[in-house]
Amino acid sequence: MPTGNRSEGEAPISVSILRQGSYLIASVYAALDDDELGRFQRELIRQIMAFRSRGVIIDVAALDVMDSFGSRSLRDLAHMTRLQGAITVIVGIHPDVAFAMVQLGMDLGNVRTELGLEEGLVLLDDLTGGGRLSPVSRSR
Amino acid sequence: MGGSEPANGQVHGALQVHGTLVELTPLIRGVIAARMRDPGVVDDLVQETLARVMTTASRLDDGALAPYAVVVARNLVNQQWRTEERARRHAHRFLDPAEPHRPEDDVLRLEENQAVTSALARLSQGERQTLLAHELEGRATAEMAAESGSTTGAVAAQLHRTRAKLRVEYLLALEQSRLPSHRCRPVLLALSGGDRRRQRELDAAGHLLECQFCSQLSGPLLDRLQADNDDEEALLPIQSDKDVVVARQRGREIAAQIGFSPTDLTLIATAISEIARNAVRFADRGQMRIRTIEGSARRGVVIVARDRGPGIPDVQRALEDGYSTYGGMGLGLPGASRLMDELHIVSELGKGTTITMTKWCTDP
Repeated sequence: MPTGNRSEGEAPISVSILRQGSYLIASVYAALDDDELGRFQRELIRQIMAFRSRGVIIDVAALDVMDSFGSRSLRDLAHMTRLQGAITVIVGIHPDVAFAMVQLGMDLGNVRTELGLEEGLVLLDDLTGGGRLSPVSRSR
Repeated sequence: MGGSEPANGQVHGALQVHGTLVELTPLIRGVIAARMRDPGVVDDLVQETLARVMTTASRLDDGALAPYAVVVARNLVNQQWRTEERARRHAHRFLDPAEPHRPEDDVLRLEENQAVTSALARLSQGERQTLLAHELEGRATAEMAAESGSTTGAVAAQLHRTRAKLRVEYLLALEQSRLPSHRCRPVLLALSGGDRRRQRELDAAGHLLECQFCSQLSGPLLDRLQADNDDEEALLPIQSDKDVVVARQRGREIAAQIGFSPTDLTLIATAISEIARNAVRFADRGQMRIRTIEGSARRGVVIVARDRGPGIPDVQRALEDGYSTYGGMGLGLPGASRLMDELHIVSELGKGTTITMTKWCTDP
């Protein structure tokens, strides 16, 4: 069966990463396959380093499915950023997705989550002292 | 005189029972029809109920007849459900993972190879090279466009035209025939490519009416297009990460058609994602069939994933949480079975795995 869309080999991934002060806001706006998730991880890690970010918000409101691989990738990503000294907050997990994740037996470990972008920013301010204090000393 | 009285009474009683039964029929039909979809089955069960009530009627008080009939009807419905359920539950056992080798297969394959070869030979040099580079060597259209100094869209359009042409040539080679008129080829090409504008220009519909040959040949060409539009069922190849995403989106679309709630749709899509990913990870390639079923009592979606991978050595353990052979979390199979209502695995070492999973629609 011919597959016509091989042209997207290294197409840009469906995530926009915006920089806002000492935070990065990554919005996932379409379903990601495994390969794209991996590239997203690397890209985010690179930008945290480049912009010396203290906090990261990953907005997954557009994701309609979070399977075990997706959940694990996000959890790993949050742990990686933690090692870099930045705190990750995942926001916008859809109620149906949350339901499915629990049924699946998946959890995000101790990764911080918030309802939406606004709340996520407030939480980051709280955890990082508005980006002035060291995120590590305040995180736990 | 003394002998005829009880006989008279019996006849009278039987008539009365008969009358009451006729009155009961709508009630019984109502009870059964509320629980069963298939009108044929409803008729059968109504008759069966009446037959049973009739045999017991003489022993029952008149007032007890209606409740008794209702209980009998309900029991029969339950029994029917159980039978259907059992048949469905065991349906996957009839699935043979290994397709039998038929003697005509070799000949058919040979014929098909010859047809493909001669069809390829009728493409131009350039068309052939582009098609082979893309389909066989797996080169991206973007890369090919950069090389030839054109755009990705142009290369994709060229590929599309070439495929359309190849399909026509393949059918011609397979039929081992020539086109009766010079109008036939452009019409067939327009049909094969699904190019509606060109079809109008050529008056393709008119030509198909006139030309017996083309109307026969266009059958398989149009079938292909219709198969793509079939919404009730989908057969998807599962070979790469991208296919996993496509499969779960298709699954969601198909399940949405029979009225699953958004939450259930997400559960189904997640389960498909897990199972499809397993197929990609362990078997490199597989296929997934997603279809809706309408039983007499309920509607649901059935997903059958087949692969020719190494098979699962211990199916029972694979369904336990945390059992993983590749260092993952071992959530795939047990997770999917929690998300769906049913999940069955048939696996043969070295031959492959078939996973059948079902989700029922909760609100009728």
